Amino acid sequence: MSGESDIPFVEETGHEEPDETSGFREQPDFERLEASPTVDELFAPASDEPPFSRCVLTTSLHLSVAAESRTNRWTDWNGYTTPEILTTIDDEYRALRQAAALSDISPMVKYRISGRDAASYLDRLVADNVMRLSVDEVMPVVFCEDRGFVVGDGHLFRLGESEYRLVTEETHLAWLLDSALGFQVHVEDVGAALAALSLQGPHAAAVLNAAGFYDIETIRPYAARWFDLGGIPVYASRTGATGELGYELWVDPEDAPMLWARLFDKGAEFGLAATGYAVRELARIEAGIPRVGCDYLGAFAAVDLADASTPFELGLASLVDLESGHFTGRDALRRLKQREPRHLVVSMALDFPEPVQFCAVEREGAIDGTATSIGFSPALGLNLALARLRYRTGPVALSVEVDFREGLSVRRLKIPARLLTEAVIGSPMRHAVPAPLLAEF
Amino acid sequence: MERHDAIIIGGGLNGLTAAAYLARSGARVLLLERNAALGGADASYEIVPGFNISRYNLGASTLPARIVSELDLASHGLRFIRVDGGVSLLDGGGYIASYRDGAVHRRELARHSLKDADGWTRFRRDILRGAQQLRPLLAGPMSDPTRRSFSTLRRLLKTASRWGARDVGELHELTRLWTLPCADFLDDYFSSDAVKTRLAADALAGTSLGPRAPTGARHLLGAFIDETMGASGGAPARVLAIGGSSAIARALGAVIEAHGGTIRTEAEVTDVLLREGSARGVVLANGEEIQARAILSDLDLKRTFLALFPWSALPEGFVERVGRFSMRGLSAKINIALDSAPEFPAVPAGCPALLGGLRLATSLDEMDRASDDWRDGIPPRVPLIDMLIPTLADPSLAPHGRHVLSVAVHYVPETLHDGVWTGERRDELTDLVVARIAEASPGIRDRIVALETLTPPDIESEVGMTSGDLSHGETTLDQMFFNRPSPALSGYETPIRNLYLCSQSVHPGPLGIGHAGANAAALVAASLRRRG
Repeated sequence: MSGESDIPFVEETGHEEPDETSGFREQPDFERLEASPTVDELFAPASDEPPFSRCVLTTSLHLSVAAESRTNRWTDWNGYTTPEILTTIDDEYRALRQAAALSDISPMVKYRISGRDAASYLDRLVADNVMRLSVDEVMPVVFCEDRGFVVGDGHLFRLGESEYRLVTEETHLAWLLDSALGFQVHVEDVGAALAALSLQGPHAAAVLNAAGFYDIETIRPYAARWFDLGGIPVYASRTGATGELGYELWVDPEDAPMLWARLFDKGAEFGLAATGYAVRELARIEAGIPRVGCDYLGAFAAVDLADASTPFELGLASLVDLESGHFTGRDALRRLKQREPRHLVVSMALDFPEPVQFCAVEREGAIDGTATSIGFSPALGLNLALARLRYRTGPVALSVEVDFREGLSVRRLKIPARLLTEAVIGSPMRHAVPAPLLAEF
Repeated sequence: MERHDAIIIGGGLNGLTAAAYLARSGARVLLLERNAALGGADASYEIVPGFNISRYNLGASTLPARIVSELDLASHGLRFIRVDGGVSLLDGGGYIASYRDGAVHRRELARHSLKDADGWTRFRRDILRGAQQLRPLLAGPMSDPTRRSFSTLRRLLKTASRWGARDVGELHELTRLWTLPCADFLDDYFSSDAVKTRLAADALAGTSLGPRAPTGARHLLGAFIDETMGASGGAPARVLAIGGSSAIARALGAVIEAHGGTIRTEAEVTDVLLREGSARGVVLANGEEIQARAILSDLDLKRTFLALFPWSALPEGFVERVGRFSMRGLSAKINIALDSAPEFPAVPAGCPALLGGLRLATSLDEMDRASDDWRDGIPPRVPLIDMLIPTLADPSLAPHGRHVLSVAVHYVPETLHDGVWTGERRDELTDLVVARIAEASPGIRDRIVALETLTPPDIESEVGMTSGDLSHGETTLDQMFFNRPSPALSGYETPIRNLYLCSQSVHPGPLGIGHAGANAAALVAASLRRRG
């Protein structure tokens, strides 16, 4: 298309030919350099910026985490920049299983639920009995819609008599508010107002103790307590989805970098290392914990209803209490419990000495399910996977087909897989009270 | 006298698609277009030299991906770009945009209502479910379900078994989607008026329905037909052809000629030659007669039968039935050339969604009022105004630094209750719209180099669409699927042997431009093969 036009246009003035001095600047453009934002400004949260200006947000710990990154490998977790791997997956994994691993879990979704009816509201929302949760205790919860399909799962913290915190993987504000009709309850998204750190590993209690969390070892699993760290209030809970002794620390975003620095300062002698999302996923797969949006889809996100699951299909039956009071989906779950599940989310192991990728899971030669999370456990030398398999009774002979590449050649292998009935890794220390302050191994 | 295997009357996208498929199957085809440019309602023109703009449609038409790949339009130069879904201005100075990126789109919705960001997840699920169920119906031909044939029976059984395997709740949801008014359906998911108005206007632009008119919610499916489950979870992308919609027509023309077909523009067909109730050829305006074994009409139903045939040659009662097919002008088009980029102070600089279009401020109530005005035959006092600045995404359409502004004005009636569209009334409409644009973009008046307004009667007289109806017949529920245009005609065949319809007047109509052409071509190709 020609750039010529027959219409006479008035050219704007000010578009003069650049003179030689401005065309070949020898001095750097200091004004421009000074006008460009500093690193701190670049990552400062700006509430008035339009959504398109940043596709991925950063947490308050971003600069602290970035300083630990030797790989510059990042990923997106719930719309936040999260390190995939900071050093090497082997080193990070070793820190998790042998020492202590610190990660920024601020991208988790957090809701504050308060008000006179908070307890009864939550009791109707989640499938378990919330009334037995005491202050400073935590329980894993699953919540369903009225047909019994899981909307999401997470952890419920009781912070006070009528104040709770629900921590989930996905956002559920619409569902929480819709369910709140008729209750005197206030639901608030505090995701951005609360930073969270996860400290996991056999030395976790020791690191915290050294950093000033006195009596941390007395916290029982799924319990929590407030600490005062030289003026920084930190809420520490003995939780974490790694099958390891571990804690999660909840703190004001402004204080989070200070806490991070203090933990590194005091934790260095215990081998504390910062870890990324890849190790978090690997630990989750080793522990056999399905993640919403990955191993199953929430009922409101599943376009195909077959992609949604009931708690029984996810192996979360222990989080469903059908006896002690009404909750959303109870009638449906009572019926579903009598029926065969449509599918099961299971853990599988593949005896193959190298990491492989696969998707279809076969039973007697026919595709029978989907591998939804895959990880290679360096400790066990095994490929592990979470998979959604069609429910069948009787003997199981599972296999997967793998395109195994060596150099530029590829072999198609059929590898037998076996079902795992319990988590392959689970440190006995994770139940110990008091938690060991000095590891004896 | 010339002889061809098939003559296609009308060079719109469906006609061109039909001709391309037929040419590819080895038939000798001749495509006849009345105007100088191919594309029908998607034709573009130079409003001033160097400024290319889609003359009748907004300029964002596409073809189904299957047709693009089967006809290999890429190797004939066709390229697409995907951009965000567009921006709506709000009364009082704000804006709401549609982004393809799921996280960004949710944050945009959260700016208007925190809750609506989650409402989007469930809304998208239900609309994608509806779209999945609709998609297989669009691509294939549709025939009278009461016809006793093996294939209809098989299709009914297949549909029944598909539904038998589904959850009952899904059927309930689907019923809601196909019967509820748009606003009521959206109330179930969203609380922000800005969000609801944006989605309702996306759905209803170009229809006669207001947001509170029954059965409007199904129009929400339109934008999601090509959306897949794997997408990132944001709003559907707007797909633009580089070079404008007419580039699609040009690429289809290139396919036809590459397979030995012939295209003649400025060749108006005035009559179809009949012998013993069977179409044998066409007569051009200059008296020339051309024979062919099959005739495909890309004209709308009314123009095909009421203009090309002596009414006495048509079966008993047929002329009346065709006359009752509802075709109504719904939109006017204003084409503007600008000497510099327009500014929209309400939209933050660099907003990528602006590439997908800009809608001037409206509300559910205003849309309702505009729809009422349309029904009353009054030029809308508060019209729904959709704009596209195609030069933002595709600068090749105008000289460097200049822009074209494509404006679709909706709820514009074809017939006025107190007379006809005169030049004066057209100017009144233009002034109203330009004043509204100038509110959103101060200084735009000084940037206008050229401007042209086309009312529905203008569109009818230039492209020939009856009443200026760009969708070849209203998309009310009674004129969809096997009822488009009627059960007997839905299968592309007509009472006249060897005459086929391939325009938007037949299934799936404007829901998938190109499908009718492709399906009719398959039918004709099979028939030509049978007859040897």
